[in-house]
Amino acid sequence: MKREQPFPSILGRVCFSFCQTACNRSPLDECVGIRELERFIGDQVAPSLAHPNLPGYHGKSLAVVGSGPAGMSAAYYARLLGFHVTIFEALPVMGGILRVGIPGYRLPREIVETEFHRLKNMGIELRPNTGVGASVTIDEIRNTYDYLFLATGVHASRKLGLEGEDESHRVMSGLAMLKKVALGEKVDLGQKIAVIGGGNTAIDAARTAIRLGCRVTIIYRRSENEMPAHPEEVREALEEGVQLRTLAAPERIELDDDGTIRRLVCCEMELGPPDESGRRRPIKKEGALFDVEADCILTGIGEIPILHYLNNMATIENGVIPVDEGLKVYTKGSGKARIFAGGDIIPIPHTVVHAVASGKKAAIAMDCDRKGTDYSDVLEEIALGDGTAISFSLYMGWDPVNPVTQNNRIVVDSEKIVYDYFGKEPRVRQEIQEANIRKRSFESHTRTFTADEAQQEAGRCMHCGRCIECDNCLIFCPDMSVQVKGEEQFGYAFDYDYCKGCGICFTECPRYAITMVDEETSVEGDNFQLSTE
Amino acid sequence: MQKLFDIPRDLMTEEELMQPGGLSCQGCGATLAMKLALKGLGERTVVVIPACCWTIIIGTYPHCTLQVPVIHVPFETAAVAASGIRAAFDVRGEKDVVVMAWAGDGGTFDIGLQALSGAAERNEDILYVCYDNEAYMNTGIQRSSATPPGAWTTTTPPGAIKEEPKKDIVKIMLAHGTPYVATASVAYPDDLVAKFRKVRRIKGTKFIHLLSPCPPGWRIDSSQSVKVARMATQANVFPIYEIENGGYTVNVVPEKKLPVKDYMEAQGRFRMISKEMLNAVQDRVDRRWEQLLENSAAP
Amino acid sequence: MRQVIKGNHAVSHGVRLSRVKVISAYPITPQTTIVEQLSEMCASGELEAKFIKVESEHSAMAAVVGSASAGVRSFTATSSHGLLLMHEVLHWTAGARLPIVLANVNRAVGPGWNIWADQTDSLSQRDTGWIQFYCESNQEVLDSVIMGYRLAEKVMLPVMLSYDAFFLSHTSEIVDVPDIEQVDEFLPPYEPEFRLDVNKPRMFGGMVGPDCYYEERYVMFRDALKVLDIYPQVCEQFHAVFGREYDVVEEYRTEEAEIILVTAGTITSVSRIAVDRARGEGKKVGLMKLRLFRPLPIERWQKVLGNAAKVVVIDRDLCAGLGGVFASEIRSALYPLTNRSVLFSFIAGLGGRDVTPEDVEGMINYAAANEEPETMPLFWGLKGDQGGNHAETL
Repeated sequence: MKREQPFPSILGRVCFSFCQTACNRSPLDECVGIRELERFIGDQVAPSLAHPNLPGYHGKSLAVVGSGPAGMSAAYYARLLGFHVTIFEALPVMGGILRVGIPGYRLPREIVETEFHRLKNMGIELRPNTGVGASVTIDEIRNTYDYLFLATGVHASRKLGLEGEDESHRVMSGLAMLKKVALGEKVDLGQKIAVIGGGNTAIDAARTAIRLGCRVTIIYRRSENEMPAHPEEVREALEEGVQLRTLAAPERIELDDDGTIRRLVCCEMELGPPDESGRRRPIKKEGALFDVEADCILTGIGEIPILHYLNNMATIENGVIPVDEGLKVYTKGSGKARIFAGGDIIPIPHTVVHAVASGKKAAIAMDCDRKGTDYSDVLEEIALGDGTAISFSLYMGWDPVNPVTQNNRIVVDSEKIVYDYFGKEPRVRQEIQEANIRKRSFESHTRTFTADEAQQEAGRCMHCGRCIECDNCLIFCPDMSVQVKGEEQFGYAFDYDYCKGCGICFTECPRYAITMVDEETSVEGDNFQLSTE
Repeated sequence: MQKLFDIPRDLMTEEELMQPGGLSCQGCGATLAMKLALKGLGERTVVVIPACCWTIIIGTYPHCTLQVPVIHVPFETAAVAASGIRAAFDVRGEKDVVVMAWAGDGGTFDIGLQALSGAAERNEDILYVCYDNEAYMNTGIQRSSATPPGAWTTTTPPGAIKEEPKKDIVKIMLAHGTPYVATASVAYPDDLVAKFRKVRRIKGTKFIHLLSPCPPGWRIDSSQSVKVARMATQANVFPIYEIENGGYTVNVVPEKKLPVKDYMEAQGRFRMISKEMLNAVQDRVDRRWEQLLENSAAP
Repeated sequence: MRQVIKGNHAVSHGVRLSRVKVISAYPITPQTTIVEQLSEMCASGELEAKFIKVESEHSAMAAVVGSASAGVRSFTATSSHGLLLMHEVLHWTAGARLPIVLANVNRAVGPGWNIWADQTDSLSQRDTGWIQFYCESNQEVLDSVIMGYRLAEKVMLPVMLSYDAFFLSHTSEIVDVPDIEQVDEFLPPYEPEFRLDVNKPRMFGGMVGPDCYYEERYVMFRDALKVLDIYPQVCEQFHAVFGREYDVVEEYRTEEAEIILVTAGTITSVSRIAVDRARGEGKKVGLMKLRLFRPLPIERWQKVLGNAAKVVVIDRDLCAGLGGVFASEIRSALYPLTNRSVLFSFIAGLGGRDVTPEDVEGMINYAAANEEPETMPLFWGLKGDQGGNHAETL
């Protein structure tokens, strides 16, 4: 697993599991708990375990700026590709958003610390308290290292655009509040908190405030259905006592002279036709104003990068750094290092998993650059499905862990699954603490699967596209042309001398592990290709 | 290893009684059915084949795809030739040998019905299998009394598609007091194999009505034949059940009930069915299914 | 042991003595009493055989196709419409080379319904590949069953023995019913080289293409002709055990005969009287009784008939558009001869109409009086305008 996703303990906790959304089991009953299984697997690895595939160095060096998920990932893969890697982190603690953004009840600090412990053991140099643009300049790094990976993330919050929001210590960004809490700094919030926004930062801020003993109301301008936050997070927040006021937006903040909030005036909203995001656009109901009691206002309406440390050495468009296919930055000026970027500072979705993926991609692209090979060509070889995802194993040419290989370019969607062959099985849930207990603690409130639970849940996997020797093709072939490969080998062999190409094995394969190729157009001249071969 | 069908791996991989190279069309249900039937029956089996697709499928002289004794007999004589063979094997003291008549729907529902009725009335200790592809397929898709209403065949062309219901062969067999009457389908191979195993132990006439899709005749792609057979059962058009000494058991209760329309739309042969006829078929299918459930609930 | 029994019972005893193992038959007048007696024999254990009581003659024939294919001696009996219903399977049986014996009681074919003697039923099966015998007496019937198995199992072709409805089937005669041990001496148990055998799986009767079918049929034809060589040996062996013999044809007073009658079945017995009377009057008249009809013993026919100036063939059968089947076959058999006899073809006794010695005398006299052969058959004894016992030339 760590070949393609180096931090299962982390992503197994905080990922919003896009993979589960795509899980073909959903139309049958419910998706497989891939995230929970990832967490289980990640937690099985001993913290001190040495990496089994650690190569020597080839002499090229990489500076990673920012120790968030993108930086961690780039460092990890670059190290596996033989780079000397140094990670620069401005804060005294490593991990970026993982450490100071995501609250501890979702991602315990030790988990992040363990990962850095591992990275260090791989020979990666960690340099906390070394802000680029503060402790060191970007030009220094640029001239010292052969490669540079920028992954400084988003640290500034979008403004509400209301009068008074910058004049009060009681109006602050959710992100800033979360960071302070994570670093153990004192925060002055008061009793009643209004959180503005419907994203994950808003929810994290709200749930953190609950844990600090506050009463919290989230104010969101659309309806609950449109909230970008993960539904599970929303549900858990509500269970913990967070109030949700949807179809409302702040209109005006009235402050007392000492900067405390006198009034938060909101306006009722209604939903109009869909906007470019596909969600229905919120429209103000003129005059439908109401007050929300608030000692403190936390904003969570989006975060943006802070990029002034770059000193104009890179193009910036719409607040982010445009990059090429291999995440290479279009640089200005001169310097030794070739510069790449990833994570939230490039135009990709702001999620941990996208950040990790960008780190992987950049590491491979840097290696290609080092070797002088064309990344576009390499991408053809290592792309999975439509190419959104890439495989590090394929890049390395590692033997597959699973004896059954798949056609990496075929995405087995639900259309291709024969649901008649699958029975319903309820999903195994992680044990979760009662809301009134968990809301008093920053400790993790969910328990990692036990081995039995993990096995049971893993058993729900339909193995889409991957032969599991279910024997359907063997049973259904009318022409006795499917043969078991035998004790030593996995899968089936096709007897093309007798196969009539009827396609029953293909249609009746529950999981699309067989692909049919037109005899006329097949390069190999075979009318079938079995993916187990 | 996740198993879909309760068919042991070693049964599937042991030396085959059917060899590849048969002369069937692509995706032939009847060929698949024979393979599975022999898995259940084993090698001490004699196969009696009247005129039908299997006359051809098995291979022309000097080829033969089956590794059990086979005799071809005239079209209408499967049941009685099997009776004669049964008598001979009994006389020879080989009572354990299963004599299986393997006939199409034409050879069963139509031309062979008299001999079948005779054999069933005498309660001959034979296994009679009708692999039903719902028309005279070997001669090129002509209507038989097993052809379902609404189906196109070359003798029920546009303007004259079949209106009459399919003959109820199971009831006909039951009316003889036949000790074992069952339906089976290539879409449910474990049930099929189990039934062919079971009949070895039953004395007297055993009748298995086996739905066997015919891609050219049903106007379906060859890859769809098992799927369409499965749909036939899911739509209750072809329920899978058995009646042992009068006691009904429904062997497959479909998890999702499919409208007959879906089953018919999956095939080209029903393209000309009228709405009225479709509704009538749906009604009949529903009634028969309810009756079947009622029968199986009876003590 | 000499017993007075009917022709049908002679068949049953022949079946019993041949230790037949599987019987399948469907009752039809006038064959019915065979079925009845065999049922009794099976029920009493006198005959250890399975009797499959089927629902039609077609099935009867098909049942024994099955049993014989499984290597067991099998028997069926029928008559007239029953035989015609079997037609398809008759071809099949011969093609499958199954040594089944079938007893056919010659009976007229409807409509109108007629249950009496007429040989059209079996003669219309002459192309099916079966060996055919026509019997004159109940003794011959019994013996032909036993000889039939011996012959059939040697050449692997089925044997049909025919005898006239009621004249033999329901008429009692003295018959020497041999002991079964004696029969065992003549007829060994049946164990074919090829049969349905789960230990040696083979396929029987499968499809053959144009590349092989022709040769298959040729071999069948060739083996049928072997009967002409093998049958005399069978006869000899039969004679050695039982003291009786049945040649492929039987000559009666043919020495120096100028006119030779050709008959089959019970008309032969009547004709013997007519021949005796003619000889008494000094006429040089003889008789050739047809026994083996398939395969055709052409050379024997030529030898017997070749020296006679005139041949009179009496057919108790009618092929519409042709005439008498026997006459037609005799005519073709004589054709190769340079000095051909004049052939008179008489149709007589259809549907069980009595044919008396006087009728036969009339036919002899007609032949004696006429020098030119007729191209059309002469219908003896037609009623109506043509009335009386005179031949009508159409």
